[in-house]
Amino acid sequence: MQSLWHAIKFFARYFKHYKLGMLIIAVFTILATYFQVKAPVYMGKAIQEIANYLMLKSNPATAKQASMTQVYNAVEMFLLFIVMMGVGLFIVSMAQAIISSRSVDDMRTGLFAKIQRMTVKYFDSHRDGEVLSRFTSDLDNIFNAMNEAIFQLFAQLVLLIGVVIMMFHQNVQLAWVTIASTPIAVLLSVIIITQAQRYVNLQQEEVGHLNGYVNEQINGEKVIITNGLQAGSIDEFMEHNDKVQQATYRGQVWSGILNPLMMGMSLVNTAIVIFFGGYLALNGSLDRATALGMIVMFVNFSQQFYQPISQITSTYNMLQLAVTGARRLDEVFAQKDEVSPAEPVAFDGLKDKVELDDIHFSYNPGKEILHGISIEVDKGKMVALVGPTGSGKTTVMNLLNRFYDVDSGAVKFDGIDVRDMSLKNLRDHVGIVLQDSIIFTGTIRYNITYGKPDATDEEVVSAAKQANIHDFIMSLPEQYDTEVSDENSVFSTGQKQLLSIARTILTNPELLILDEATSNVDTVTEAKIQKAMDNVIAGRTSFVIAHRLKTILNADKIVVLKNGNIIEEGTHQELLAQDGFYAELYHNQMVFE
Amino acid sequence: MVKFLIPYIGKYKKDVVWAVITITIAAVTSLWQPKLLQQVVQAIADDKMNLMIPLGIQLIVVALIGLVAGAINTIFAAKIGTGTAADLRAAEYKKVQTFSFGNIERFSTGSLVVRMTNDVQQVQTIVMVFFQSLLRVPILFIGALVLALTTLPRLWWVILVMVILVVVITMGVLSPMGKLFGKFQNLLDKTNNMAKENLQGVRVVKSFNQEHNEEVRFDANSKELTDINIKIGYLFGILMPAFMLIGELAIAVSIIFVARNIVSDPTMLGALTSFVNYLMQIMNAIVMAGFMSMFAARGIESTKRIKEVMDTKPDLTFDANAAEEKLSGDVEFDHVSFAYPGDEHEVLKDVSFKVKQGEMIGLVGATGSGKSTLAQLIPRLYDPTDGVVEVGHENLKKVNEKSLRKAVAFVQQKAILFSGKISDNLKQGKFDADSADMKHAADMAQAAEFIEKYDDQYEHEVEERSANFSGGQKQRLSIARGVIGNPSVLILDDSTSALDARSEKLVQEALEADLPDTTKFVIAEKISSVIKADRIFVMQDGELIAAGTHRELVASSPVYREIYETQKAQEVID
Repeated sequence: MQSLWHAIKFFARYFKHYKLGMLIIAVFTILATYFQVKAPVYMGKAIQEIANYLMLKSNPATAKQASMTQVYNAVEMFLLFIVMMGVGLFIVSMAQAIISSRSVDDMRTGLFAKIQRMTVKYFDSHRDGEVLSRFTSDLDNIFNAMNEAIFQLFAQLVLLIGVVIMMFHQNVQLAWVTIASTPIAVLLSVIIITQAQRYVNLQQEEVGHLNGYVNEQINGEKVIITNGLQAGSIDEFMEHNDKVQQATYRGQVWSGILNPLMMGMSLVNTAIVIFFGGYLALNGSLDRATALGMIVMFVNFSQQFYQPISQITSTYNMLQLAVTGARRLDEVFAQKDEVSPAEPVAFDGLKDKVELDDIHFSYNPGKEILHGISIEVDKGKMVALVGPTGSGKTTVMNLLNRFYDVDSGAVKFDGIDVRDMSLKNLRDHVGIVLQDSIIFTGTIRYNITYGKPDATDEEVVSAAKQANIHDFIMSLPEQYDTEVSDENSVFSTGQKQLLSIARTILTNPELLILDEATSNVDTVTEAKIQKAMDNVIAGRTSFVIAHRLKTILNADKIVVLKNGNIIEEGTHQELLAQDGFYAELYHNQMVFE
Repeated sequence: MVKFLIPYIGKYKKDVVWAVITITIAAVTSLWQPKLLQQVVQAIADDKMNLMIPLGIQLIVVALIGLVAGAINTIFAAKIGTGTAADLRAAEYKKVQTFSFGNIERFSTGSLVVRMTNDVQQVQTIVMVFFQSLLRVPILFIGALVLALTTLPRLWWVILVMVILVVVITMGVLSPMGKLFGKFQNLLDKTNNMAKENLQGVRVVKSFNQEHNEEVRFDANSKELTDINIKIGYLFGILMPAFMLIGELAIAVSIIFVARNIVSDPTMLGALTSFVNYLMQIMNAIVMAGFMSMFAARGIESTKRIKEVMDTKPDLTFDANAAEEKLSGDVEFDHVSFAYPGDEHEVLKDVSFKVKQGEMIGLVGATGSGKSTLAQLIPRLYDPTDGVVEVGHENLKKVNEKSLRKAVAFVQQKAILFSGKISDNLKQGKFDADSADMKHAADMAQAAEFIEKYDDQYEHEVEERSANFSGGQKQRLSIARGVIGNPSVLILDDSTSALDARSEKLVQEALEADLPDTTKFVIAEKISSVIKADRIFVMQDGELIAAGTHRELVASSPVYREIYETQKAQEVID
């Protein structure tokens, strides 16, 4: 119930931008419904008038009085009402199309904008797929529900109320007969929906297991082939498959049976109405012509009355998905944004030094990662950070660009705390090259000019040349206009690194954060990367998480981190002389994970 | 496409028969009701009270039968749908298990998974809907048409005009709708891809201050998507009111026609009510058919994709008649050339060599030089395009599959573990391994040191995507799995890349000491990993250009020397 209330608030937030549209929907739904439930009355009246006409006509005494005028009048009214209904429904549909599409657009772009504002912490602690499913499945579910369930719910409720009012207005006895079976239909729906939910959940669980199994096995198919494990893999698959079949069978029966049952109920109800109407006609107070009209009218009403009942029940699942979707979207919207100070201190270029001053930091409260780290780098110098996995190297990088905020201490540029600068100002002066290269779908040019969309061709080529990737790009048929994406294989892993170096060179950052890639590349590419690296580092203040010995040897200062503490610091020669951890690593054939 | 599904559905003959019977009954009952209504109206007009009770009972009984038949139909439809799906999935899975490396790479693993999960799901839905509703459409349409024509034959033209109008509108709306759906799907994929890239590259976006530009790009895309959505909405919006209008207009016309002719034929009054009902059913049937066809299109697309898998012939098959035997560790390549299927470029060119049991061979060369490809021919993951590969003096094309799997262990760079226990994963290398075997293998792979830190040791859980192990640990477990069966030939395809130099050295020493009779092929980027090999093979552009010990190669091979010098320069600059 609480989640329902939450979902209503969620949708209200988006719908309120479309007040006029909502008003149009409300008014025209009510009007169209009025015309829809009133139309059968005129149809019944037409039948009644035909019967009357026939009776007058067949009696020679009254034959002269017989006239078709009444019939025509009734049909005219009927026509008028159905045309009005058609127009009303059409207007409602148009308004609905606009509102549901635009609202989902608002949600989608809002969600994307939110993602741009959120802290890196959120993305580090949530799997991409989990966030992405908000775009793919949740928005999809909400859109489907809006198209087929949410506005329908309203329309069907209006129709239900309209039919009931109209029925009681026409004939109280027949009206009671028509709605008499409702409790049974509702009870049946509730039982079936509850069962369906239970079994569909079981089904989804089993399907999830099976999909997980298939995914893992197929991804490991090479291991299966080389170890000859196919038979065993099939056996285990069959176990899962049988379970899925049993579970889906129950799930599909329960979720599929509601519709035919409701159709059947509608049929039974109509039968009862016809029967009772006929009985009334012959035994009751109604004259025959009126009774005939009534029966035709109520057959229509009975069908109209059951339509909302079966519609509402059949869209129940869809509504529930939308309620869940609303909750999951709001979970994201409720996340913290990155904070930028209201009155930032202007920073217009590094003059003196970058310093980390006694920094304590933890990703999760109580689990401190950095225990009081201080590093100073003078302008134009390079620091190499080395240390085993988990020593805190990457964490230091995360703080320099203010992806995370320190617990205590400060990161300062010329003495200005990064928390006092605007984020944009800070990041304009800081460039990063990550271990895993990111390629955006688009042209090579787009990827290189990513940080500086207005770069000239000369600038682009110059950056690519410095990154040692220009020649390769020129060897492609479309050169800088070649379309690339993360998945297509224009670039090898090493070339992707070169591209991301070019991207950073183009923005000409003053402080460079560089996380050297560890992946194995062949010697030629390796040499190219090394050269590109030298080019990007030259003349800049830089922090490098180093894996290559050559990079380390080039550093003005080497900082050795272990378990969140700086254990050694100095030049290569100094550290070797200390004969400590660094020296041991070095003599052990230089491996820095 | 439908033909492809018939044998699978055919397995449920009985259920199909029952589903058809029940759906026919349900359809007939809904056609019958207006007939009974007509009789009731006639009875009232004729003032025949005595007919009312039997008619009423008939009405209700018929409706109840329809209700029950409809419900039972669902049960059979569900059985056929889920059964077909399960059989299809199983057939597909079994088929994939006969695939070779090449087959799988051509499909890509992701696509194979989708074909076994989502596509099968689609087929299940369409099969179920077919037996639940689709079958009902022709019965209702033809039945209602015939009954309407017999009820008021003189109004045939009303039916004709109505049918034409509905068909024209349905076609007119559905065909642009199909195009819009195609565009919609493309844009949706593009939009979702943008979101995905922004998630992956969140640090890049932020550090280049591109949040705003990304939003602008995304919003433009989303706007385009929204415009298409609105258009689709408009088309749908025309559909329903138009149908209702057409149906009701047909009713109005019929009423007027009947009124004008009622004197000459008074029974037309009773007929009118049921005629109106049939008109509605005809229209519903056409509309349903239209929507079903759209729906079916998706199912057909999925069926196509499943069929592709089922129609694929495995690239290579093992001789089923070959006898099981123990293969020695001698490996021979005799003028072997190889090109990947569908690619003319030869990855291996006329490679010949002989390796004796127990030798350790290092394979070096630049990326794309063919060293991994060469290694993959030894466990017969591919067949050579030319020449012969022999293991234990047997041509691999004639060897027994089990014998080969037992003889050759292949450890990939990307260590893949399966969820379950450590022991489950190790047993994949030797199904009857006992704890001593496991300990021995883990010792060799330098995995025992971390495994034995767990309370449950070899029974320790391997999580999905082996998320609870580091890259180095995964590689060590994967090596342990490779050596546990005491293979005649062991191939390590850059499988110590995530190990530190010390562990790598320890692994090699252990292999040397504990598996003296095993032939070892070690593919490496770093020469330091293979420096101790009995022989090192140097590959360049698919050719085996030099072979010998490290010392010999440094002296004789310029290519080898160049690789060595570059790496040395990186490592020792004192």
